[in-house]
Amino acid sequence: MFHPRGHHRHSLHCILPPYLLRSVAQNGTGPQRAAALHTAAVDSTFRSLRFASTQTAQRAPSRIISGMMAESQCHRSIYDLQGQETFPGTLARSEGQGATGDVAVDEAYDGLGATYDLLWEVYGRNSIDDSGMRLNAHVHYGTNYDNAFWDGQRMVFGDGGGDLFNRFTIAIDIIGHELAHGMTEDEGPLVYFRQAGALNESMSDVFGSLVKQKFLNQTADKADWLIGAGLLADGVQGKALRSMKAPGTAYDDPVLGKDPQPGHMRDFVRTWEDNGGVHINSGIPNRAFFLLATQLGGYAWEKAGHIWYEALRDTRLRPDCGFARFARVTLMAAARLYGEGGAEDTAVRDAWNQVGIPVTREKVSVAFIPPQQGVPASKPSRRPNA
Amino acid sequence: MRIELKREGGVAFIPGLNRPRLFNLADLPPAQAEAITRSVQAASFFERPARVGTASKGAADQTRYTLTIEEGGRRHSVQLLEPVEDASLRALLDLLKQVERTAARAPPNTVNR
Ligand SMILES: [Zn+2]
Repeated sequence: MFHPRGHHRHSLHCILPPYLLRSVAQNGTGPQRAAALHTAAVDSTFRSLRFASTQTAQRAPSRIISGMMAESQCHRSIYDLQGQETFPGTLARSEGQGATGDVAVDEAYDGLGATYDLLWEVYGRNSIDDSGMRLNAHVHYGTNYDNAFWDGQRMVFGDGGGDLFNRFTIAIDIIGHELAHGMTEDEGPLVYFRQAGALNESMSDVFGSLVKQKFLNQTADKADWLIGAGLLADGVQGKALRSMKAPGTAYDDPVLGKDPQPGHMRDFVRTWEDNGGVHINSGIPNRAFFLLATQLGGYAWEKAGHIWYEALRDTRLRPDCGFARFARVTLMAAARLYGEGGAEDTAVRDAWNQVGIPVTREKVSVAFIPPQQGVPASKPSRRPNA
Repeated sequence: MRIELKREGGVAFIPGLNRPRLFNLADLPPAQAEAITRSVQAASFFERPARVGTASKGAADQTRYTLTIEEGGRRHSVQLLEPVEDASLRALLDLLKQVERTAARAPPNTVNR
């Protein structure tokens, strides 16, 4: 496969028989293991070995790589919009080029690289679509623009007005967050509304946080579990946009108001705002992931991350998936990956229990959700189902 | 002329920024009020459909603005999805954001009703 430059360090061209692949997957380290798993993921022989005794809930491999080659292909392009809101802007840095000196350009480049590396090295995933999709980021969007978004194809970052927000590339987890939206769309999708939308948001926070933790080489107990640390301008009373560890505590400021995120089903917010509270109720699955990762200890991207990634790829994750169903899918993923009745299985169950979602593989129940919360324009909606 | 600007979405739900902002042109410095009036006309605001722009598949964290303008007995709302491609509507939005920003860190009640 033609491979212009960069990222050769992760390459592993495998033409290996399945038993050897399995051995590498089990005993190899880092990139080797990831590449073997990646190759395994496109090889049905290995797949049937691996899941011989369990339900094969995984998607059929949709992209067959020729032979059994596993190779990383990180292709980043960072465009400078120079304050305009019309795309694409000027190409400022492409794959393999050195730093430009424009901090937003370079942060976007490095953040995309760190995200690509996490997906590739840990999960054996080749970019957003697992087929080497090019990563395009556009910086300096608009003037004083206080946001970052994923438009379905590219990441867009504002410089922030400086009074409330700094530039949005400052937080590597926000870059990972935007890119993870592309991955969720590719694997899910999860519709951007109500509980499925909150799961979509949570998935982006989880992988965004994992990008940051891996970049900083932090174990779960050392990580701050904040989303968007450094983003709030000086003088704003707060430390980040969200806290996965303690949802609802990220900021409390006269202008911004108070972080509205719940960390438990009893505080679930019913609202029509924000696509049905997608950035609000994501606090609940976010905290479940934090609890799982800290319970398991070590690096969060390892077991906890693998369980979440496996769940994201599970065919039972329907586009309208609610929290309870997702919890069950993670439990099944934990059992599939690490065995039934093991510490991981128990930890997943405990984590969901602590956020008010008791779950078993057979059935799920949802804790009582109180009516009407104090968020503006809230309207009653149906009880969330699994 | 009275204008209400409401934001939704973005990478975080920030309650303080989610509150609608009201601009009463009578309370603004004449130059600003005049610029806004011209911009509303240039954008043919009252002839616009209720929604401008559609989210593409899989898009997330985009900001949605709802602009409501009351003038001489008529009232019209237009929802704009970021990025706003229409140049004249974008100019109007930018202008309102500028006015808003000048009062951004002042006590909440000065811009807000
Ligand atoms: Zn998001």
